[in-house]
Amino acid sequence: MNKKNRTRWLFVLPAILLVMALFIYPICSSIFYSFTNKNLIRPVYKFVGFDNYISVLTDKNFWNAFFNSVKWTVFSLVGQLLVGFTAAMALNKVNHGKGIYKTLLIIPWAFPSIVIAFSWQWILNGVYGFLPNILVKLGICDVAPSFLTEKGLVFAVLVFINIWFGAPMIMVNVLAALQTVPQDQYEAAEIDGARSWQSFLYITVPHIKVVTGLLVVLRTVWIFNNFDLIYLITGGGPAGSTQTVPVYAYDMGWGTKLLGKSSAVTVLLFIFLIVICLAYFAIISHWEKEDK
Amino acid sequence: MKSKGKKIQGALCHVYLILLTIVAMFPLVWIVLCSVKGKGELTGNPTGFFPKTFTLEYFRHVIFDLGFINNIKNSVLIALVTTVIAIIVASLAAYGIVRFFPKFGSMMSKVLVTTYIFPPILLAIPYSIIMAKMGLTNTRIGLVIVYLSFSIPYAVWMLVGFFKSVPIGIEEAARIDGANKLKVFSSVVLPLVAPGIVATAIYTFINAWNEFLYSLILINDTSKMTVAVALRSLNGAEILDWGDMMAASVIVVIPSIIFFCLIQNKIAGGLTEGSVK
Repeated sequence: MNKKNRTRWLFVLPAILLVMALFIYPICSSIFYSFTNKNLIRPVYKFVGFDNYISVLTDKNFWNAFFNSVKWTVFSLVGQLLVGFTAAMALNKVNHGKGIYKTLLIIPWAFPSIVIAFSWQWILNGVYGFLPNILVKLGICDVAPSFLTEKGLVFAVLVFINIWFGAPMIMVNVLAALQTVPQDQYEAAEIDGARSWQSFLYITVPHIKVVTGLLVVLRTVWIFNNFDLIYLITGGGPAGSTQTVPVYAYDMGWGTKLLGKSSAVTVLLFIFLIVICLAYFAIISHWEKEDK
Repeated sequence: MKSKGKKIQGALCHVYLILLTIVAMFPLVWIVLCSVKGKGELTGNPTGFFPKTFTLEYFRHVIFDLGFINNIKNSVLIALVTTVIAIIVASLAAYGIVRFFPKFGSMMSKVLVTTYIFPPILLAIPYSIIMAKMGLTNTRIGLVIVYLSFSIPYAVWMLVGFFKSVPIGIEEAARIDGANKLKVFSSVVLPLVAPGIVATAIYTFINAWNEFLYSLILINDTSKMTVAVALRSLNGAEILDWGDMMAASVIVVIPSIIFFCLIQNKIAGGLTEGSVK
């Protein structure tokens, strides 16, 4: 009996130890450093209490980055959900070419962030870009728009790129969930004279809402934490107009070498995400209870 | 009347999907076309779609003159070692969770989801400090260790779904025949979930191959750089050579896309199954 108990631990122990070493220790040391004036280059540091937190929370650039992050997350998430959902429903309706559409539509998902950045920077390039030039040629614009440097446009362009990248993931998962909805319920509803929006609202939505809820949680966290896309495409510019919290933290830590202060920023970011996730999970477990 | 409505609906779906496909595919098509266009075409004729002259000169220049071949080797090596370690650790854990800790297991999958909340930028700071202390900055092994942080939880999560599909009866039969736990695991269970493990391995590989932030922070020696970061350094050049950048992008994106298409049906299953249960 005793031996049996020991071998089963052998299976899970390596993973538990590794995950603890790779998460628990780093997060503790981040919290620790956030109370010090740790510098990227100088080895000596001392405790400064809540100074880092106070100086971050009174920095107007931090609040600018925070609101940019919220804006970036909300618009990207809504866009990804809209496109991903409608694409999944269209795929679910068509009889021919479903496989080929699906294969071609998931391609953006496979793109490494650096290639996303390069390809869109090239397509939107103000001088040689395909899109600005074709817009001029077709007479839609008088001058080639500079999508990546004009303050009013950059943010929307970044959100568009993020939707382009993220919608396939939503689409694939929603499609998988849609296929678990029993078809006979739709047929029964049709016989009863239900309109298509009614069957959507009363049959489709209840069946897929838990999966969708989890997708929303994962996507929210992913988009909020995303560093690569913005850093690589605009670097946070022009003039901080696209700077989000992760980019702000990076500039603080590796630009100005203030690791202690940068740690404080990331700890605040983490706390914010935990609160958001707890709220989400409360809603989802409420739904799960409803289902039972 | 009804069938006519259905037909229109179907046609509209096709129109919508074709539009989406064009938007989804355009960047890939465009970078591939641009990477083989002749010198001067990229800047001389920005809206010309097909190449007037076909050349692989940019590829040759990037791979050999700029030493990309070395960065490709680094990326392959790092992604491969990460995948092998992650898959071994994760399949043991996923099986253990499914068979021996069913109650504890559901809590454990929640813990795994929470690892997803950790902002990579939050972990990047302590990782860079720890790696510097251990003398692992600028080493490939240091990067592999850091990559395990996102590979293992995700792999466990995907694999739990696959292991759940193995009927326990088969294992009990083997155990009656006198096989011990590890033996049952390696010779009965593993072959059954092999397709799931392959899919998870490919997914892990793609994520390691595509990773950018940690690689940017931990490696600054050109000879150790991964392709993603080496690619970015092209952007720092005084005169941007878009032909080189397109060719290098094609080299980085093609393996990801091929692998992705291979496992497309498995990822969806893995994600939703792992998350629902």
